[in-house]
Amino acid sequence: DRSSGPRVSDTELRVYKDPSKDELPLLPEELVQDSAKDVTYICPFIGPVRGSLTVTNYRLFFRCTDREPVFGLDLPLGGLSRVEKIGAASSRGDVSYGVVCKDMRNLRFVHKEPENSLKKSVFEVLMKFAFPVSNNMSLFAFEYKQVFPENGWKVYDPLAEYKRQGLPNESWRISKVNDHYELCDSYPATLFVPVTITDEELRRVSSFRAKGRIPVLSWIHPESQAAVVRASQTMVGQNGRRCKEDEKLLQAIMDANAQSHKLFIFDARPSVNAAANKMKGGGFESEDAYQNAELVFLDIHNIHVMRESLRKLKDVVYPNIEESHWLSNLESTHWLEHIKLILAGALRIADKVESGKTSVVVHCSDGWDRTPQLTSLALIMLDSHYRTIRGFQILLEKEWLSFGHRFQQRVGHGDKNHTDADRSPIFLQFIDCVWQMTRQFPAAFEFNEYFLITILDHLYSCLFGTFLCNSEQQRLKEEVPKRTVSLWSFVNSQLEEFVNPLYVHYPSHVLFPTVGIRHLQLWVSYYIRWNPRMRPQEPVHQRYKELLAKRAELQKRVEELQREAANRMASSSSERAGSPTRSITPVQTFV
Amino acid sequence: VCVKKRKKQKFRTFSMHVLTLYMVKVYVSSSEIVVNEANFVRKCIGAESCQDDLWGKLVCTNFKVSFIAHNSLPRQCTHRLLGEHDIPLACVEQVVTVNDVKGKQKILGSNQKLKFNPTELILYCKDFRIIRFRFDEAGPESAKKVCLAIAHYSHPADPQLLFGFEYVGKRYHGSTGRKTLMRPVNGVDPGGGLQTPLFDCSSDWDREIKRTGASEWRVCTINQGYFISPSLPEFFVVPVSLADQDLKQYACCFYSQRIPLWCWNHSSGSALVRMSNISDPQQQRKVEQRISSAITKSHPLRSDVFKSDLDKNLPNIQDIQAALLKLRQICVIDSFEESEEKWLSSLESSRWMEYVRTFLRHAVEVVYMLESRHVSVILLEKEDRDLSCVISCLVQLMCDPHCRSLHSFQGLIQKEWVMAGHRFLDRCNHLKRNDKEESPVFLLFLDCVWQLWNQYPAAFEFTEVYLTVLGDSMWVPVFSTFLFNCPRQRAEHSRDFASSKSIHLGQDQALCFPPVWDWSQQFSLKDQTLFNNPLYVGKIATCVQNGTVKTFTHRRSKKNYSSTLRGLPSALRNGSLGPNDTLTRRNSLMLRLRSDLSQVREQQETPSERFVRDFFSRPVDLQGLLLPQLLPSHLSVWKLYFLRWVPEAQIPQGGPITAFHKLSVLTDEIEMLQNQLRQYQGAAGTPNNLHAEHSKMYFKATSTPHQSPAPPEYLSSSFPFSPVGNLCRPGILGTPLSKLLNGAKIWLSTETLANETI
Repeated sequence: DRSSGPRVSDTELRVYKDPSKDELPLLPEELVQDSAKDVTYICPFIGPVRGSLTVTNYRLFFRCTDREPVFGLDLPLGGLSRVEKIGAASSRGDVSYGVVCKDMRNLRFVHKEPENSLKKSVFEVLMKFAFPVSNNMSLFAFEYKQVFPENGWKVYDPLAEYKRQGLPNESWRISKVNDHYELCDSYPATLFVPVTITDEELRRVSSFRAKGRIPVLSWIHPESQAAVVRASQTMVGQNGRRCKEDEKLLQAIMDANAQSHKLFIFDARPSVNAAANKMKGGGFESEDAYQNAELVFLDIHNIHVMRESLRKLKDVVYPNIEESHWLSNLESTHWLEHIKLILAGALRIADKVESGKTSVVVHCSDGWDRTPQLTSLALIMLDSHYRTIRGFQILLEKEWLSFGHRFQQRVGHGDKNHTDADRSPIFLQFIDCVWQMTRQFPAAFEFNEYFLITILDHLYSCLFGTFLCNSEQQRLKEEVPKRTVSLWSFVNSQLEEFVNPLYVHYPSHVLFPTVGIRHLQLWVSYYIRWNPRMRPQEPVHQRYKELLAKRAELQKRVEELQREAANRMASSSSERAGSPTRSITPVQTFV
Repeated sequence: VCVKKRKKQKFRTFSMHVLTLYMVKVYVSSSEIVVNEANFVRKCIGAESCQDDLWGKLVCTNFKVSFIAHNSLPRQCTHRLLGEHDIPLACVEQVVTVNDVKGKQKILGSNQKLKFNPTELILYCKDFRIIRFRFDEAGPESAKKVCLAIAHYSHPADPQLLFGFEYVGKRYHGSTGRKTLMRPVNGVDPGGGLQTPLFDCSSDWDREIKRTGASEWRVCTINQGYFISPSLPEFFVVPVSLADQDLKQYACCFYSQRIPLWCWNHSSGSALVRMSNISDPQQQRKVEQRISSAITKSHPLRSDVFKSDLDKNLPNIQDIQAALLKLRQICVIDSFEESEEKWLSSLESSRWMEYVRTFLRHAVEVVYMLESRHVSVILLEKEDRDLSCVISCLVQLMCDPHCRSLHSFQGLIQKEWVMAGHRFLDRCNHLKRNDKEESPVFLLFLDCVWQLWNQYPAAFEFTEVYLTVLGDSMWVPVFSTFLFNCPRQRAEHSRDFASSKSIHLGQDQALCFPPVWDWSQQFSLKDQTLFNNPLYVGKIATCVQNGTVKTFTHRRSKKNYSSTLRGLPSALRNGSLGPNDTLTRRNSLMLRLRSDLSQVREQQETPSERFVRDFFSRPVDLQGLLLPQLLPSHLSVWKLYFLRWVPEAQIPQGGPITAFHKLSVLTDEIEMLQNQLRQYQGAAGTPNNLHAEHSKMYFKATSTPHQSPAPPEYLSSSFPFSPVGNLCRPGILGTPLSKLLNGAKIWLSTETLANETI
């Protein structure tokens, strides 16, 4: 039964049909650690409910006992960012616990302290298992041993993906310089660089780029050969250091594209921030040093600003929204404004490559947050392959995972240190941007909204190994592909759940979304999904599937009749030749 | 130049335009007269430069402002009354003349003088377009004259000067009246055989009584000849227990002698009734009681009557007008980039969305009374001619799936707006006489319907293009639907006009205006298929399986609703844990927790909230009750209507239309298969090749195999409308204005722009 599988509950409260049965669905290797009766869950929507709370090594499970219908609360521990006892015990011995989740909700429980002070409260057990990393335990992903028909770790093969793009070719080569992650420990092993640059030169460049993240190829335009190249900032510093190998590399990138004698460098940061980085040794390319290159700042703010914006958004949407000032409250979070800037930046990059036939270099400070946001969105606009389900998985594996977006740091898997300044919803923001594009082009993406929500749920769940660790090197060291299951194993084993029935594949179609606030909307089915007044809606898709079924049925029926008619004609034609026949052309099927 | 034009052509889509190819001038009919014209006029397309501008002739007729471009190309589809660059005079909101050399500007009204020669004319339109013409090369005198003519003719002094009278009057010439005109609706719909009931005869009402099972209600004819009430129709429905004599007696107590009108019966027997205020305070109690008890008697359960005071609970017509003006300001007048920054808060302060929500919410309250409490409801409004039109329609749309088909929806508007005497003439301000009376109540209603449609797109037979075009038709002054304040006014004006012009009416008693529902007046049959919703789950949608016909019902997949608990009380909002409560203020938390708990326990959800919650906890039956989700986060701006002219807001090759395209093709295939089946089964024997003509879908299945067709390149989120040349924002006086097209491309490179103009 799939519903008891690794699906993260899509609603806050789950109603149970048969209350007498204990319906805690355990996954393989999932073990109950503790449970307590007489826990009160203070639901922000229906008020306090009494029930029992169970903690396993994977989830928190609350089952109410005093209400009809009986319902429960079921969430993976990976989704918790903080669990705290609030205040001291009341006179009746009640203690209140607050649980802050990564998925936009806060939960509150009230529970009697155990009279025997030696016995641990269920919440102490919860705190231990919710933050295994802080307690020197392993994440549940390393225990979970479900076998799926497909192995998702095989989805991304860098050589095959670059080959699809026509690489290597006469201008771009594979470099083995980072085979053992010696050049840059946050980069993948496979790097594509211009043929005219030697590995020795790359080593010199790496000392001039922050964290050694040198400019390497992300994507190449199949016709114009304009390339999307990603990097980190240059270590210019206050003295205006230069690096002739870096300058040569950028010149080589430009030369690899015969269509244009210019190179655009997109610095994702606001120019003020970029300039301020010079104090810390960083900075940006000066146009003196890089002739023929034009530098553009995209004004996207840093991880701290984004974290703050999401915090404000949570205030506005959870648990209830203030009806009279909804729009101005939403505006004050600036969330959509940030989404707009990211999409606008990606649009400029895509436009430069597609319409200007010009190669581009994209970087921010370290090149692992804003850079993958921009490159992957631009790639989705430019290359319809990345709008398919498998293509999107490849895109994530490539631009985000192999190029070292610091998932562990940004999400804080199993880490109780919730105030860590490295936490930031960068990946969520990217998925939000993708969702915005699916709204504007409802027929251009093979996947549906549920696919995106599933990715986000398992970003936090720690059930799959996909989003663990900070880099390819770390994942290999931890043997993540060997010891855990990939999210894509799960997804690709039940693809039909994630397919957008309206999808039309048109191969060479570039998407230029409209980035105005007028066309951006809050993703309510993600951010407001816990609100019970919010109803999941996919009626168009649902109806489309019905129509498809109806067409299939009719087609079958027509074919049957056609056969019958053909048979009849065959038998009757011997008797009466030349009888008038209506020829009926069968309707072509295309799905 | 040729390439460029072809490229432009891509974006030029709809219809609504007569072919001006080869400079063939097509006028609507002989009733259209050219009043004035100017040659060598430039219509502004782009703002920054004039290189895209069109040269042509600006013509003012008694019907429209027409621009006949020298180099126009044919379009995809065409409007039968209006050319590509035409604006009906009734759609012109404001005529502004500018002389940028002298730095002068004047808003022109009727019969005014103009002391300078205009170099520029800006027309602000009621449908949110802003159109600019330049007279740099035109003769100064002819430019001035055409501007004055436009100003004059867009302010008709008398309703009979509205073009519709000429238009309809001319059709009687050389004919024997009705025979050639027929009742227009009958003539239009050769395929469907369905008709739009106009509710101007007692049989339409009888049918509605039967359909809703309102056996305790009857058609009343005392207002024939409009002798009792000037604003009521000749036929309406009243409780059987009230005799004509009583009604005549009560009539004088009501505002404008409006006897309470029956609208509709719920299947439980509860009635929806609309009523104006009782003007005589002494009689109020008595009359109210009589009416209530008569309604109670007509209820099978003798249930009570609930009075819903609309004036108290809803914004008034001035509020609605003010909201639309603000909305227009941010949508089309403010520069795109500036309004972008504060878009959400400006949208909020326009209050338009808030009003949409208020009306929908009020309708839900009424639905609750009918559906759950089984009581009859009286909608009470001072004049009973504005707010009750909106509420009674919304209630019926939510409760009665019948109303969601195209023809019944049109019938609903006939019944609750046209016949009930919504003052379309005044609310549209066709005569531009009294701005205080102008109010977009009908547009607000259409927006409410759009919100429902947007939440349940498969429940309605029509599309958002239909709703948009219906809204636009208010400004084409030839339809009986939108020209008059009430049926009596229509009758009187038509009679007077006919006699003053000595028109021989034949069998007709008065001029017979086409209702807007005669869509062939405006669009070809092919273009009308844009109104058909491919998703619609009609009652008659059946599915053939193994030779037997079974009903094709809408089912939600299990995962969508099973094992979820939804629709919890909104009243708990205040007592719930705000995010601030939870963890950020640690010190005060214990205290807060206590009060939270006690508050939550005390909070009771109201019965109507419980009703809504129950509704949302069940799967939706699209052929049953539909309630809208009313969180402000769930209502959206009706982009097709409000933003279609804004070039920056256009999504090239995107928008909901691309999904519509795919659905349309699929539905067309299904139709084709069904035809084939019918052929095989020997029924009717419609030959296959007739399919193309009869198809209800705009985008047709192709016979090209293998691939689902990609959406055509010309599709954009504005389709079937086009922003090109329809929105030129005013800049600072005397300077070449706004950043128009430039704004659209603000994120795109100069290369893109360069490519486009090669």
